[in-house]
Amino acid sequence: PCLSCSSGGGALAQWMLVELQGEVEPRQSGSLAGSLLGDLHYTCEGIPVLIVGHHILYGKVVQLEKPFAVLVKQGGAPQPSPGEPQGHYTVTALIKTKLLFKTRPKPIITHVPKKV
Amino acid sequence: AAMSERSRAEVDATLQTAKLNPAELLPAVHCLSFGPQASAGECCLLQLEPGLCAELEAGRSLVIRGEKDEQAVLCSKDKTYDMKRADTSNMLLFIPGCKTPEQMNADPASCNIIYSQIAGFSNNYWELRRCRPKLKKLRNLLMADPYEGPGSQKDQTLTFSKYTTEDLLSLIQASEEEILHHLQVIDACKIEGRYWRILEFNYEMKLLDHVTQLIDSESWSFNKVPLRTCLEELGSLEPKEMIEHILLSYGRKYVDDAGEVYFEMREDKICRAIAQMLLQNAVKFNLSEFQEVWQQSVPEGMTTRLDQLKGLALVDKSSRPETIFLLKVEDLPEDNQERFNSLFSIRQKWTEVDITPYIQDLCAEKQTVGALLTKYARSSMLNGVKVYNSRRPIS
Repeated sequence: PCLSCSSGGGALAQWMLVELQGEVEPRQSGSLAGSLLGDLHYTCEGIPVLIVGHHILYGKVVQLEKPFAVLVKQGGAPQPSPGEPQGHYTVTALIKTKLLFKTRPKPIITHVPKKV
Repeated sequence: AAMSERSRAEVDATLQTAKLNPAELLPAVHCLSFGPQASAGECCLLQLEPGLCAELEAGRSLVIRGEKDEQAVLCSKDKTYDMKRADTSNMLLFIPGCKTPEQMNADPASCNIIYSQIAGFSNNYWELRRCRPKLKKLRNLLMADPYEGPGSQKDQTLTFSKYTTEDLLSLIQASEEEILHHLQVIDACKIEGRYWRILEFNYEMKLLDHVTQLIDSESWSFNKVPLRTCLEELGSLEPKEMIEHILLSYGRKYVDDAGEVYFEMREDKICRAIAQMLLQNAVKFNLSEFQEVWQQSVPEGMTTRLDQLKGLALVDKSSRPETIFLLKVEDLPEDNQERFNSLFSIRQKWTEVDITPYIQDLCAEKQTVGALLTKYARSSMLNGVKVYNSRRPIS
């Protein structure tokens, strides 16, 4: 079968990729949805700084040699097997830039922000 | 809920705790949180090869093709790519509405907090590698039921699958342009305006024979065969579409100043087809006998040459007398290793000149026959000539 991968007519959005070492886990044992990751700043020189919980991560802006397309599955059916592209996809966005953060491998824990 | 609560004051407090100097930072901050669907796994990443990004931005589509038993490929309008999953040890988050420092400087926001929701995350993505379109299946589908002409009994009594362009697009792992080009290469034609068919070889030779006989009786030059007259003279024998199709297959169409359509007949292709007709009747032939019969069988004025038979027939120079037999490259396996296995089981040692027509089509973009031979064969010297044999024992 043909699985179509089209841009659906409108202009393609430009998204950003953030690459982190390690895994993202929720602090509470619930899902990640809605929880904060952290604050992303840039220095005046353009260096990205990500504050996640009690960690400060310094990164760099990388222009991707090979951009990514973000494919969003239509129809909502679950993926039958991990390796296979099944179903109908729409190209939702392009990613040409990534923020690459390197840090000592530690679990990065989302946190509840302090109230001022 | 949690996200909209985060205020500038809280951000500043965090900066203070982190001992970062706000004066060294750009004024705006992105507060990153996970969107409601972030964990759902509905998004995945596809790494784009050069050119594909521009195609998507121009509004063109990409299509993923493959049946359950086939490895999926991605097709643009004119290219085909293998898809492979690449895993990374890092976590990739994809975030809409997140700006780079340049974008922030170019357009200083009136607010200094940007709330960005992470749309999804992944530790793998799809990698693409340009590959040869998988076209052997196309020929196989059409060869299952070749067209034998309107007088044939076959079409009326049996039902075989018939394929429109759309059918082929959904079944063949290749881009549309590659499919249409290959249909032309194999001289397929549309019957009843819709279905792609290949002509059965004997029917094709019959049609060709009508044309070459007419050329002879009219004493036309091979370079100036008029379409109109062919249709008038032969239209009572065969359908006009078939007459025109055989002229298109075996000639080059042109229009003169008066608007008349002519064909420049392709001598090499005609000689080659007649050779196939002769060779298909036996396992092998005495080479010199074959060459004599072949020259006599082609239209008067045409000259046969062995190099017209590249990829169609193979000469055995080691036998006494020398022989020739039919070996069609399109009958051989499509996969590289299987192709070489097949060739080495037919003949143990090949010269580069002999093997090239049988592996030329395996070359990827910018790959040479030499590179293929280095990879799949082992070379040695035989009587002062470089020959290639299999890297592994062939049963």
